[in-house]
Amino acid sequence: MIKEIRPTVFVVDDDAAVRDSLRMLFKSIGLPVEVFESGQEFLDAERDDRPGCLVLDIRMPGMSGLELQVKLNERHSILPIIFITGHGDVPMAVEAMQAGAVDFIQKPFRDQDLLDRINQALEKDAGSRRMLAERNMIRKRLESLTPREREVLDLVVAGKANKVIAGDLNLSQRTVEIHRARVMEKMEAHSLAHLVRMVLEVARTEE
Amino acid sequence: MLPIVPTLLSASGIDPARRGAAPGWLPCCPSAATRHHLGFAPLVRQPQDILLDDRMPAPGEDGPQRSSQADLDLRSLLDAAVDAVVVIDHRGVIEQFSRSAERIFGYRADEVTGRNVNVLMPEPFHSEHDGYLERYHRTREPRIIGVGREVVARRKDGSVFPCELAVGQVAGAVPPRFVGFIHDITLRKQADERLRRSETELRLAQELANLGNYVLHLDHSEPDYYSPQLHRILGITAMDDHVPLTTLLRLWAHPGDREKLDDAFAALQSKHGAFDAEYRIVRSDGATRNLHHIAQVTRDAQGRPRKHIGTVHDVTDRRQTEDEARQLQERLTHFSRLSTMGEMAAGLAHEINQPLSAITMYAKACQRFMTSPTRDDADVLESLEQISAQALRAGEVIRRLRQFVKNREVRREPVDCGRLLDDLRTLAETDARLHNVRLRIENADDLPTVYADPIQLQQVVLNLVRNAIDAMADAPETRRDVVLSAQLAAEGEIEIIVADHGSGLAPEAAKHLFNPFFTTKSSGTGLGLAISHSIVRAHGGRLWHTPNEGMGARFHFTLPVSPAPKGETTE
Repeated sequence: MIKEIRPTVFVVDDDAAVRDSLRMLFKSIGLPVEVFESGQEFLDAERDDRPGCLVLDIRMPGMSGLELQVKLNERHSILPIIFITGHGDVPMAVEAMQAGAVDFIQKPFRDQDLLDRINQALEKDAGSRRMLAERNMIRKRLESLTPREREVLDLVVAGKANKVIAGDLNLSQRTVEIHRARVMEKMEAHSLAHLVRMVLEVARTEE
Repeated sequence: MLPIVPTLLSASGIDPARRGAAPGWLPCCPSAATRHHLGFAPLVRQPQDILLDDRMPAPGEDGPQRSSQADLDLRSLLDAAVDAVVVIDHRGVIEQFSRSAERIFGYRADEVTGRNVNVLMPEPFHSEHDGYLERYHRTREPRIIGVGREVVARRKDGSVFPCELAVGQVAGAVPPRFVGFIHDITLRKQADERLRRSETELRLAQELANLGNYVLHLDHSEPDYYSPQLHRILGITAMDDHVPLTTLLRLWAHPGDREKLDDAFAALQSKHGAFDAEYRIVRSDGATRNLHHIAQVTRDAQGRPRKHIGTVHDVTDRRQTEDEARQLQERLTHFSRLSTMGEMAAGLAHEINQPLSAITMYAKACQRFMTSPTRDDADVLESLEQISAQALRAGEVIRRLRQFVKNREVRREPVDCGRLLDDLRTLAETDARLHNVRLRIENADDLPTVYADPIQLQQVVLNLVRNAIDAMADAPETRRDVVLSAQLAAEGEIEIIVADHGSGLAPEAAKHLFNPFFTTKSSGTGLGLAISHSIVRAHGGRLWHTPNEGMGARFHFTLPVSPAPKGETTE
């Protein structure tokens, strides 16, 4: 969790006392916290794309927690959401989990249970952000390849031998070997397996 | 011949002085209720012989010349009589049959003259009459002569009618002759019967209605009258002449009603005195009865009170039934509040969990602040303050809940409507929050107070708010608003309106809306609106609904703005 930007816990709850007590709780363990009275207020806030997690009351007049979740998904938010539910809200909690929430916690709860979930959520957020960063890096490396190098890469990832590739592209085997070495270098691949994994990772998310 | 008339009349047991009182001049015999046969059998203890005419010949004995004047005189006398007059000889054979006898019996004189008088009698007397005559001749013991009797007779057409019969023996006639006077009393009998029946009906009606009446003659010109049912109502067998009814009632009046009764009696003494009071008495047998007593005093031309007439209606049973109905209604109202709270349990749990969750987190935060070297005491103080505030908040929810469900006496008091709605906010918002509904309360400023039971009013408002929330279950969340408002309406009424943006009321539902057990919800007793309706009505208001502007429904109810009604106690 050692990062340049410290993650923030965002709290959205219409009940002033619950909202404020959560603020105090996170403050007491030194976690940066920001509180919001409604879903709309949270959407309207300038948050940049800071790491952290969202603690969200599932029942609120006006925009409910579930509605806010839908709106955030539409905006491709990756902020992990922990729902606070009341007694008898299990069906709603299930709906929230299906829509991608990381967890829910039922009131009244022990503070440690909430903090454990917050930690998990923050770790998940950090992991997602790491993965996103890595993907962006791979994309940048792929973009640095020449069209010919890209052709060679695709055939290498398809599992073809240099000789076959040379035949397919109507090149000499030596030329293929040179392109392949440039690709490995530009992609910063330690091995053929590493190269394949990187290409597949990007391909999977771009489907 | 005229001098014989008084003799004849006295012989037949008729006081000539009363003759002028005809019709119905025959004195009623004491045993009028006992029906005797029409018997001419002359059973005279001391023969009151009729001095008809010494010269009057026995039939068949004398020539027509000698008796013609006497016969004519007798004939005209008989024909002048209003009653039927029949003269028979010692064998019972009819000798004279007056014109009125013809009218009463339907026979012409010539049809029956010479026939046995028993043709005028129904069985068994028809067959037995000869025997009566024979016994009289043998024993000389009179049974009917000189005594008026009520008997039955038979007309020519066979019909039977009641009559009064007087029989006398013609003085000096040998063998004896007898004269009978027959007075048809059919009409009087019918009138008697009608009177008896109407008296019976009156008595029965009084019994059924448990209503007694009385007449007090204040000038003592006649004895006071108390109906049998009045005796029963008062639990006595006879009125004591020395204790007037009014004194008795004052004596027995329930201590709580004594003043009321005294006031009523005082009003009765006033110039145009009338009396209409309901009060309780405790009878000598210990029973408490509720009496509705209406009375009036009539006065003579000089304004002196003459009669005090009154009815006393025992309304104990009705009062008891009303009391029971009221208690039942109150229990139902309470039951409905309980079941409302039951339905709201989830929301109430949430409402209590909110402050509890906050308290837990503030307390934990405090613990951590205390062990942190870099703590800020302001955070600790703020958290502690919030802990106590949230504990009070939870307590307040429980207090309101308990107040709402408590089984208590219905108690009316001056109520500030604005405050009432604010007080209700906690409970109403519980449900609103649970269903993602926004509740807005809009009070006009300076609303006058109403005189009402605050908890029952809260029950009505809460019921309407919950219905409004339920009505919007399928509405998009952005539309889920309930507006609760109170304002001063025209004519000294406060109007409370609950408006929603739900689907509105189906015409079919609107028709049965206030019927008990009618519900459009899958859960719910169907009592809410019915009970709300009766609560509002009991407070002198109205409850109705209109379509909301745009969409949904508005439920309105009014309460009269008034100080405590006179006579009502707030206890």
